[in-house]
Amino acid sequence: MNDKLLVETAVLAGEIMLISGAEIYRVENTIDHMLRKAGRETAEAIVFSTGIFASLNDSTIEAITVARRVTIRSTNLYRIYLVNDISRRFCEEQITVYEAYEKLKEIKNIVQYHRRVKDIGVMGVAVFFTLLLGGSAKDCLAAAVTGAVLAGAMEVSAKIRLNDFCANGFCAFLLAFITLLIGKWVIPGINSDMIIIGAIMPLVPGVIFTTAIRDTLNGDYASGAARILEAAVIALSIAVGVGAAMGLFQWGIGGRLI
Amino acid sequence: MILQTIGAFLAVISFSLILELPKKHLLLAGGIGAASWLSYLLVVAAVDSVTTAAFISSLLVALSSHLSARIFKVPVTVFLVAGILPSVPGASIYRCVSYMIQNNTDLSSQYFVETLQISGAIAMAIFITDSLFRLIQKK
Repeated sequence: MNDKLLVETAVLAGEIMLISGAEIYRVENTIDHMLRKAGRETAEAIVFSTGIFASLNDSTIEAITVARRVTIRSTNLYRIYLVNDISRRFCEEQITVYEAYEKLKEIKNIVQYHRRVKDIGVMGVAVFFTLLLGGSAKDCLAAAVTGAVLAGAMEVSAKIRLNDFCANGFCAFLLAFITLLIGKWVIPGINSDMIIIGAIMPLVPGVIFTTAIRDTLNGDYASGAARILEAAVIALSIAVGVGAAMGLFQWGIGGRLI
Repeated sequence: MILQTIGAFLAVISFSLILELPKKHLLLAGGIGAASWLSYLLVVAAVDSVTTAAFISSLLVALSSHLSARIFKVPVTVFLVAGILPSVPGASIYRCVSYMIQNNTDLSSQYFVETLQISGAIAMAIFITDSLFRLIQKK
């Protein structure tokens, strides 16, 4: 077996999983299992939330060590699912290391749903969370408008590469302000509370929080703490955005600015 | 309550589109989300405590995610992160900020504490289930 390609393949698999938001122990496990297929004396993988180190060594070969820095973070369950499948099939020797490498390179950029479908997803979350919280038909209609604005705001902030804190704050500000405007002048009598709560759901860091808990339980304290902090910062930015919109609105209609 | 459960089902499916959940597991993830929200509503109606409700519904999500993951041989994350979403304390964060703007410090800090309590309850539920399944796996 080609050791160098094997290490490269294992690290690529780990990299895709880490970028897609998998738990640290799953990434380490995947790399470990794949490296062990070489049958060398030492096969080690160390994974942090910001990078991967993998090493393969034996008295008969020169040690192969690969380090990979990972800067992007997102959530893509489809890629985690596919990489998991490839690594399982590779470890059961259903596919060769060459096939696995080629397949992983395809997975790296695979997208299941088009951007527009995701925009509809954002709108859907706003509308159906409003329904989930007990909103009426009128509330859901207003939530659809707010959701569309949010989807637009998310695309704009991604396009101008705003940093996470500002992007979330900006999106939260816009969605709260639009909802309050609709409630005041367009469709009076809607539950603007419910709609804002529904519409902030795509921004609320539920996924990061869940992964953070599982990382911490698995003893990966460094990444667990990093992810909990990330979740707290995002929650704070949403609070700042919504708060600013509410304060400004109150002041605009003749109230006191906080 | 039925309408709200349907809302939860569709909300989780919409969220799954953003998270790129594999197409063939979309319905199951939505079902887990709906079941979790239904149990949340029932517990709130029965004991009137959102923290207990968040705990029980997260426990249900974590259990069914672990079982589904083992049946379909996919990572647990796929079902867990989508199903847990309805219990996430978005409402408490919002109310905390909302009362802060209205200069109502008492209610604001009450909802801040509630946010922490619900997060803690969800964390406990995931902790317990993860540990439980790890015990079973070792045997």
